[in-house]
Amino acid sequence: MKVVGKIISISELSVKVLLKDDNVELRDILVCNFNDQEYKFEVVELEENIASLLPFKRVNGLKKGIEVSLDEGGLQMEYSSSILGRIYNSYGDGIDGVKAKSKTKRNVYDRTLSVAEISVKNNPLWTGIKVIDFFAPLQKGYKMGLLGGAGVGKTVLIKELINNVYKKFQSNAIFIGVGERSREGKELYDEMKADDLLDKMSMVFGQMGESPCARSKAVYSGLTAAEYLRDENNQDVLVFIDNIYRFIQAKSEISTELKRIPIENGYPTTMASDISEVEERINSTETGSITSFQAIYIPADDITDDAVQSVTTHLDGQIVLDRKVAEKGLYPAINVFKSSSKAIDPEKIGRRHYDLVQETLKYLSRYEELEEIIAVLGIDELSEQDKLIFYRSRKLRNYFTQPLFVSENYTGIKGEMVDIEDTLQDVEDILNGVYDGIDEEKLLYRGKLNGESRKEEEPIEQ
Amino acid sequence: MGTHIEDLVNQKVEQIKNKENIFDSGTVIKVKDYIIEVSGLENVTYFEKVTIWEKGMGYVNQINENSVTVAIVKENAPIKIGDIVKTTGEQFKAVFAKEAIGRIVDIFGTDLLSGKAFEKIKYINIENETIPIMDRREVKRPMLTGIAGIDLIYPIGKGQRQLIIGDKKTGKTQIALDTIVNQGSERAESENDVVCIYIAVGKTKKEIKTIYNELLKRGALSYTTMVVATNDDKQPVVSLIPFVGLSIAEEYMKMKKDVIVVIDDLKKHADTYREISLISGKTPGREAYPADIFYLHARLLEKGCQYKNGGSITILPIVETKGGDITDYISTNIISITDGQIVMSEKEFAKGNKPAINYKNSVSRLGGAVQKAEIKSLGAQIRRTFLSYLETKEVYELANMDEMTEELRNKMKIGAQMQEALNQPKFMPLSNEEIIDKFEAIVKQEGYTNEN
Ligand SMILES: Nc1ncnc2c1ncn2[C@@H]1O[C@H](COP(=O)(O)OP(=O)(O)OP(=O)(O)O)[C@@H](O)[C@H]1O
Ligand SMILES: Nc1ncnc2c1ncn2[C@@H]1O[C@H](COP(=O)(O)OP(=O)(O)O)[C@@H](O)[C@H]1O
Ligand SMILES: [Mg+2]
Ligand SMILES: [Mg+2]
Repeated sequence: MKVVGKIISISELSVKVLLKDDNVELRDILVCNFNDQEYKFEVVELEENIASLLPFKRVNGLKKGIEVSLDEGGLQMEYSSSILGRIYNSYGDGIDGVKAKSKTKRNVYDRTLSVAEISVKNNPLWTGIKVIDFFAPLQKGYKMGLLGGAGVGKTVLIKELINNVYKKFQSNAIFIGVGERSREGKELYDEMKADDLLDKMSMVFGQMGESPCARSKAVYSGLTAAEYLRDENNQDVLVFIDNIYRFIQAKSEISTELKRIPIENGYPTTMASDISEVEERINSTETGSITSFQAIYIPADDITDDAVQSVTTHLDGQIVLDRKVAEKGLYPAINVFKSSSKAIDPEKIGRRHYDLVQETLKYLSRYEELEEIIAVLGIDELSEQDKLIFYRSRKLRNYFTQPLFVSENYTGIKGEMVDIEDTLQDVEDILNGVYDGIDEEKLLYRGKLNGESRKEEEPIEQ
Repeated sequence: MGTHIEDLVNQKVEQIKNKENIFDSGTVIKVKDYIIEVSGLENVTYFEKVTIWEKGMGYVNQINENSVTVAIVKENAPIKIGDIVKTTGEQFKAVFAKEAIGRIVDIFGTDLLSGKAFEKIKYINIENETIPIMDRREVKRPMLTGIAGIDLIYPIGKGQRQLIIGDKKTGKTQIALDTIVNQGSERAESENDVVCIYIAVGKTKKEIKTIYNELLKRGALSYTTMVVATNDDKQPVVSLIPFVGLSIAEEYMKMKKDVIVVIDDLKKHADTYREISLISGKTPGREAYPADIFYLHARLLEKGCQYKNGGSITILPIVETKGGDITDYISTNIISITDGQIVMSEKEFAKGNKPAINYKNSVSRLGGAVQKAEIKSLGAQIRRTFLSYLETKEVYELANMDEMTEELRNKMKIGAQMQEALNQPKFMPLSNEEIIDKFEAIVKQEGYTNEN
């Protein structure tokens, strides 16, 4: 390898090199060896003959004056069907101990889609999760955001979607772990392997204990893998990302280290373009599609956060999870008023579904007001009409809880998938008072209600 | 344009010729609290230990083009401009000593009770690379605290990171101490040896001694080390102490031991780190914390795991909140790292419910996966009914009891019994069997309905 310069300064998250070669470009990979250790870096800034580098790992033990060389080809990811069944780190190295010869590799940045290439189609995609199918139904090729503060159920939902959508449709999938727990990554891998489901999936991890460089690169490497499946194998691909917020977070750490002036809350000025660069790659073409599910962390429970907003502009639909709902033990803890999708349109889901959504939202928003009144006056003071709305809304609320396959460890109940037709029927029944005489508790953590419960529990006259 | 740089380089070469010790020594050119700038030290490595002649010790925290920034960890006499700084050729390291069990030690491995160093020691890195994903195993063995509200409802497994969060004086430290003491009885039955490490982050000496006495009184010191930074230690010491404690934990884990680490507390740690960052000139982000505050805690807490060799590190970090708000920046950061949280509430404490756990906001992300079959389904059932009781109680509090359905009235009665059964004095651990007996009696009585 060719020596291109030597180190002149070192701080925790960045290194500067005095170049003696002007062939170095942004995003090149530089390497050095010192005390039996290999250190790798990516070039992130060039100013005259000084390059700022991001270290792949920690820089303890490194010193000034060490020579660095250029690693030709830049950051690359395997670009062949041998990605399936494998697990990689952010830099495209397999970490599962499998000895597989690389067939072809591709630079992780070399792909942008033109407007002409992008295809938009409308095929519904049902998930079997009541709240999603009802309030924020999705279509093939959609970008679905799962937003929530810390610990409100994003990962649980992502895993349930892997369970329901990936398993059911037997499509190819890429899981990208960005800045989340290593434990969860390993567990997902073990579960997929145990269920023999790894063969159609590939995973890339840059988790929270790793450097900001690693955390930001996982996205590019993962997308390169997804593009292989879409562009070369012409497939419909599912991409799961947990968590795309961590990508921006890593970018802010990097930008702070480079002493760039931040916008509000320390986010980099380039935030919008950073996120667009990756989001624009997650699209469908005439020959293959990418449907993506992206968990989005909401820092400090502040949904107006700039980074969160910069991601949501790219979405076709969003599920917002709410701590206030989780506190009540109602899971999935979705905020129905903030969750929706572009498919909520009578032309796409049909008049009946559309009207039921509107009616349900009307009930639930009145319920919110009534809750406040009750806190002061008690239930007895409500008008008969309001009482009806109050009780039916509580039933709707309970009905939208659901035992999930992956939450058995928390609920102790076996998971269930629910067909959208059943959901529509049940919601209609609740709104029409079919379940008025039934204790609201009976609607908690159920799959579908219709049929069996209608016969068994004839409405009791009041 | 590069001529300026070239000039600098030439200048430096010139300097080197004139002054041969520019490689291994330097002089202080700037002092800013505990951060100093040194010129010279051309040969120093990142995070190397350096000595400030006859005055103190520090580590290299930045290597600049023309100087080196050093964070001071020990200062015996005031450091001044012109003081001589020397390289040591070694990284700044922590000390591992088996003799430290039962003792209170500081960052330099000094036994604070005797004031002496230990005899048999091994130098270890203060921070190792994060444990690779593929070296981790499923967290599934129970780590019992002896507290019913935890072992039954929000269980903790060996290798789990479970946050204890709440306002001042709500019993956070107590939960950790109960857990450590309970390992005494657990140890007899466990296949692995258990080691506990209590890390004090900037606590007062009195607080530290009080905790020491509590543990001593209950025989817990035969398997516990206290690794401490007191509030009059240098800030860089306070910010490194949790890493030192966890590095010691990693040593034990690699010997196949089950280690339980308490960090008291991470809010203080975050504030210390913020202070150092601001003094070092880093750009402030949200609430003036630097952008890498999440990474700091993430890489610390990612050291908790079930390791492939059978050993494990369980971490119980503590975070202090204000006004019961767990949604502030640092708290949510840490909640998003840990595998669950036990929320302590001032309101419950005032009502006399102890431990003052807020069951609505508490979570165990591993849940039943870390419980034995006998207690698992009972736990899930109690959690569901109890949460549902708490929620209903709020809504129907103003409703007339007489007008309630019988079902609802029963629910209220049984919920209240559960609350009573969850109350537990400190240092009075319950075994799984005792917990099961107590709560089965409640769910088996007449009028209890299990919705599912
Ligand atoms: N289960 C319990 N039974 C009896 N007393 C308890 C219990 N839990 C906590 N206490 C008491 O409550 C007080 C506060 O507990 P502790 O010091 O653990 O709180 P903390 O939240 O760590 O406080 P600080 O803000 O000082 O760190 C102590 O006196 C402790 O003994
Ligand atoms: N659908 C659900 N059913 C039951 N419990 C849930 C559900 N979703 C989340 N939880 C509870 O909330 C915790 C946090 O969920 P998780 O998905 O890990 O949060 P996030 O990824 O948003 O931080 C879970 O460990 C579980 O205890
Ligand atoms: Mg998550
Ligand atoms: Mg305390």
